[in-house]
Amino acid sequence: MPTDKSQDKLDEILGQVLRTHSEPVPTDFTALVIKEIEQARQQEILEQVVLQERLTLAGCITFGLAVIVAALVFPARIVAVFQSYTESLTEQFSSLLGEIPQAVETVSTDWQFYTILALVLLFTIGSLVELFVDDSLRVA
Amino acid sequence: MVNKVWKKHYKDKWLQLLRSGDHKAFAEFIDKYKETVFLCCRTLGLRKDEVEDVASETFLAAYKGLSRYTGRAQLSTWLWSIAYRQGVNYLRKNRKQQQFKSELNEQIADSKQQLPPEVMQSKETEQLVWEAVNRLPRIWALTVILYYREGKSTADIAKVMQARENTIKTYLFRARQKLKQLLAVTFGEDADADR
Repeated sequence: MPTDKSQDKLDEILGQVLRTHSEPVPTDFTALVIKEIEQARQQEILEQVVLQERLTLAGCITFGLAVIVAALVFPARIVAVFQSYTESLTEQFSSLLGEIPQAVETVSTDWQFYTILALVLLFTIGSLVELFVDDSLRVA
Repeated sequence: MVNKVWKKHYKDKWLQLLRSGDHKAFAEFIDKYKETVFLCCRTLGLRKDEVEDVASETFLAAYKGLSRYTGRAQLSTWLWSIAYRQGVNYLRKNRKQQQFKSELNEQIADSKQQLPPEVMQSKETEQLVWEAVNRLPRIWALTVILYYREGKSTADIAKVMQARENTIKTYLFRARQKLKQLLAVTFGEDADADR
């Protein structure tokens, strides 16, 4: 640190002068940087979307290839898996068909209650449709 | 006391907004520090068109790095270090190696001589001081600006310039000597008159 008087004075002058200095900056600089940041962010989002799409496509291709390879290498096992799926689906469908007469019977027994329920449901759906159709008409 | 607490609360809130990527808060941040960043780039010897590019690169880097800002250093010191790094990297990329090394150590104008008396008489104190600072080697000029304008300690300047504190003290000492020599006609006489 300076010890003599002239050095003290120099320090004082430097402090005063340099602190009051105002550096010229283009007036639209802030807006330009914010715009650049926004563009960079959009670019980043776009890159992410492209990457996701590429990954999905790669996944689809890999899965397809894996299925083909599996069908070629283990045909018996693949057939067995598909058979078990179709069997379980058929079982579920036939049990559903079997339950229909029972449901008809229940509704016919308490038909007043089910009629009111159906009317309330219809009214709700009607109101919702009216709301959305009206909104879309207003927007158009 | 209340004012101090309020200021701290406001600063914390602002930092939180900055870290979250709020554009309004970041625009405030740019407005607050743009002059400083421009000054850093200009002092490093970048041309006018280069200064704007490097300054916007600095703010972009700051925007990306804000989430990692821990608050250990002052925000201005942290930004200065980014600006300094960006400026030096730009010079390194765009100037030849030899030219880059000499550029950082050379003065913006010839500093071997005192400012001519006619220049000294015709200008205001502020212009004279800036002219003298611009005649220092760029690294010295930057040290002087950080110390006297920004009020940074030599330890903080060492962090910004990634140098040892003793090196910064040497720069500062030599810069003072040179400025004293350059401004001797004006301030030296005043100082003598004070004695």
